[in-house]
Amino acid sequence: MLKFDFIGKKNIWFGISAAIIVLSLVGMLVIGFNYSIDFKGGSSSEVRFKKAVSVEDVRSVLKEQGLGDSKIQPIENILGTDVGALSSTTKGTMMLLRTTELSTDQETAVFKALDTKFGISDRQTMTVDASWGALITERAIYAFVAALVLLLIFITVRYEFKMSVAAILALFHDIIITAGVYVLVGREVNPNMIAALITILGYSLYDTIVVFHRIKENSPNIVRTTYSAMANKSINQVLMRSINTSLTTLLPIIAILLFGGETLKDFAFALMVGTIAGTYSSIFFASPLFVVWKEAEPYYRNLKNKYGKEAIARASTS
Amino acid sequence: MTDKQKHLLSLGLVLIMIGLSIVMIFPIEKSAKLGLDLRGGLQVTYEAKDSPEVKVTEERMQQAEFVLNQRVNALGVAEPEIQREGARNIVVQLPGVKDPEGAKRLLGKPAVLQFAIVQDAYAAINDMAVLNKQKSEGKPVLGPVELTGDKINSAEATFGGQIGAQPIVNMTFNDEGAVRFGQITANNVNKRLAIVLDDKIITAPNIEGAIPDGKAIIEGIDSIDEAKEIAIVLNSGSIPVELDILEYRRVGATLGSEALREGVIAGIVGFMLVAIYLLFYYQGLGLITWLGISAYAILVWGVVAAMGQFYGWTLTLPGIAGLIISIGIAADSKIIIFERVKEEMREGKTFRTAVDSGFWHGFRTSLDADLVTMLVMFVLFFVGVSQIRGFALALIVGLTLDIVIMLLFTRSSLGLLAQIWPIKSPKLLVRVGKVRQNA
Repeated sequence: MLKFDFIGKKNIWFGISAAIIVLSLVGMLVIGFNYSIDFKGGSSSEVRFKKAVSVEDVRSVLKEQGLGDSKIQPIENILGTDVGALSSTTKGTMMLLRTTELSTDQETAVFKALDTKFGISDRQTMTVDASWGALITERAIYAFVAALVLLLIFITVRYEFKMSVAAILALFHDIIITAGVYVLVGREVNPNMIAALITILGYSLYDTIVVFHRIKENSPNIVRTTYSAMANKSINQVLMRSINTSLTTLLPIIAILLFGGETLKDFAFALMVGTIAGTYSSIFFASPLFVVWKEAEPYYRNLKNKYGKEAIARASTS
Repeated sequence: MTDKQKHLLSLGLVLIMIGLSIVMIFPIEKSAKLGLDLRGGLQVTYEAKDSPEVKVTEERMQQAEFVLNQRVNALGVAEPEIQREGARNIVVQLPGVKDPEGAKRLLGKPAVLQFAIVQDAYAAINDMAVLNKQKSEGKPVLGPVELTGDKINSAEATFGGQIGAQPIVNMTFNDEGAVRFGQITANNVNKRLAIVLDDKIITAPNIEGAIPDGKAIIEGIDSIDEAKEIAIVLNSGSIPVELDILEYRRVGATLGSEALREGVIAGIVGFMLVAIYLLFYYQGLGLITWLGISAYAILVWGVVAAMGQFYGWTLTLPGIAGLIISIGIAADSKIIIFERVKEEMREGKTFRTAVDSGFWHGFRTSLDADLVTMLVMFVLFFVGVSQIRGFALALIVGLTLDIVIMLLFTRSSLGLLAQIWPIKSPKLLVRVGKVRQNA
């Protein structure tokens, strides 16, 4: 069986986590989030033209409509090109237009003008009021708090309080890192991404539950060893399944990221980062954190004083 | 009942469920009710705002919802959906609507119709644009409101006027309205009666004499389409609160079906990747897993189809995402169970005993892990906004079926396998991962 000292080297792992978290927080403060129109108000349209057009072409028409400042960017489905006959023709014909909030009449006028000039084969438009973002943020905060409280209760009941606190702290770890990566790669923060963050709360716990389940199972049989050593053995015992479950979780997410189309990509990206962070944190953050706390209990502290050296020696020889 | 019989019984149960699912799935094109992001259409989220005169109340919200329902019905959309969300929001979904802009314009109209007398100082102005401009500048163009649109029984768009080619709206008052209208017209002969819709004077004809029959005509409408719109909003009544558009989404049919196809492709690829990985990693047992997640996929599809047919649940893009990532969760639970069985065999147990104790140990771990995710999804379902709820529900369905499959399929097939094929070495079950008998 694989043997690796997860608990003993905890300071290294805590250091790595701390560094990434600090980097994430600095990124959030310095660079800031790239919020989608959902938070600022505005209109966003995906337009498919009948033939290829340039950004300048589109801009000239928008200018006539008094929307010269709009953001216009071409959409290219990089991998989608191989998949379907329709997608393979999207190059240069798909444009994303971000404008100020369009009224019904404005919207009709803009797209009529574009249609007469270049020919539109299809489009989708989303218009949001600036207060929509406030609503979403409010709901997201409710969901976060409610989910955390329920998880805290659930894990305390099924496992123990110290485990649930360690697991929740690991969740913060994962969420901060996911948000940090989002900032660093400059992806847009939209309602889908927020939903993905909340999903990570449950998702990245999967591995943590697997590890904690084993620690709980092994903890009545601590004979002539320390809590740390038992926990370390537990992690090693479930390491392969932890890696395997993470991989099988990631495979469908990667499939969405590659083939799922624009809307779902943001979602899949956040889930992917969160799942990876969750796998790391269950082994390298939540477990050592829990063990350190647990070993502060007098009974286990005694064990550590009594068998600590022995356990270390055994671990290094086997 | 022996264990073998129990296993066969639950496998039979799974087969029946799969059979039912297949019945639900076919014909494939109609197997799920698609949301408007997958087939095109219009979605508007309204938020009611307090104004100085009108506060948002539950009664007014219900009235607004009712009126929106009436208008949507008048549009003739196949499967409209109108839902209250929270205390102040109403979400209207019109999949496959032909003229989204027109629908949006029509839906949002407050449709407050008022009748008032044009004051003498302004009576000479015949141009409605000028009158409206004066009115919006706050000048006392009109007298007090004499009558409102809620006294109208019916309205109908047609052609009329002097040469019969002008779009008009015929209105019939109810009894109370008819009496009142008769009085107003009798008292104001040779004055002009302004017909005001949503604060805009549409027409202001001269009152030639008393009109006792309770019928009135709105003229001065630009097109017959506009006349139809006015007739619809008058028939459906006015919306008693100020509704702001919070979010508005319009999806073209082509882009919608493309999103659907991309989602389906992502799902198939995701499924294949997981299946290949499991077959590679667990070879012999991988086949059971493979059958397990195939059964899982069919059941999920069947449930989605059934929920669409019986409860009107629509599958949206986030819903598809939820279903796809639930494939990963379904595989996870099998991995945990197999790894556990493998581990117990390493400790020297036979395949049969390892399956017996290993399954339940592994099951408890997966159950906890599934429940944790399900807990979060329930929160997301109850707190989330429209589209996200579809995602949460899809994952809840997925997780529930995962637990069912574990109990009915994985347990029984492993159990049966252990009885008919009592292998001794875990090497036969796994390719990767060194096995040390003395570990």
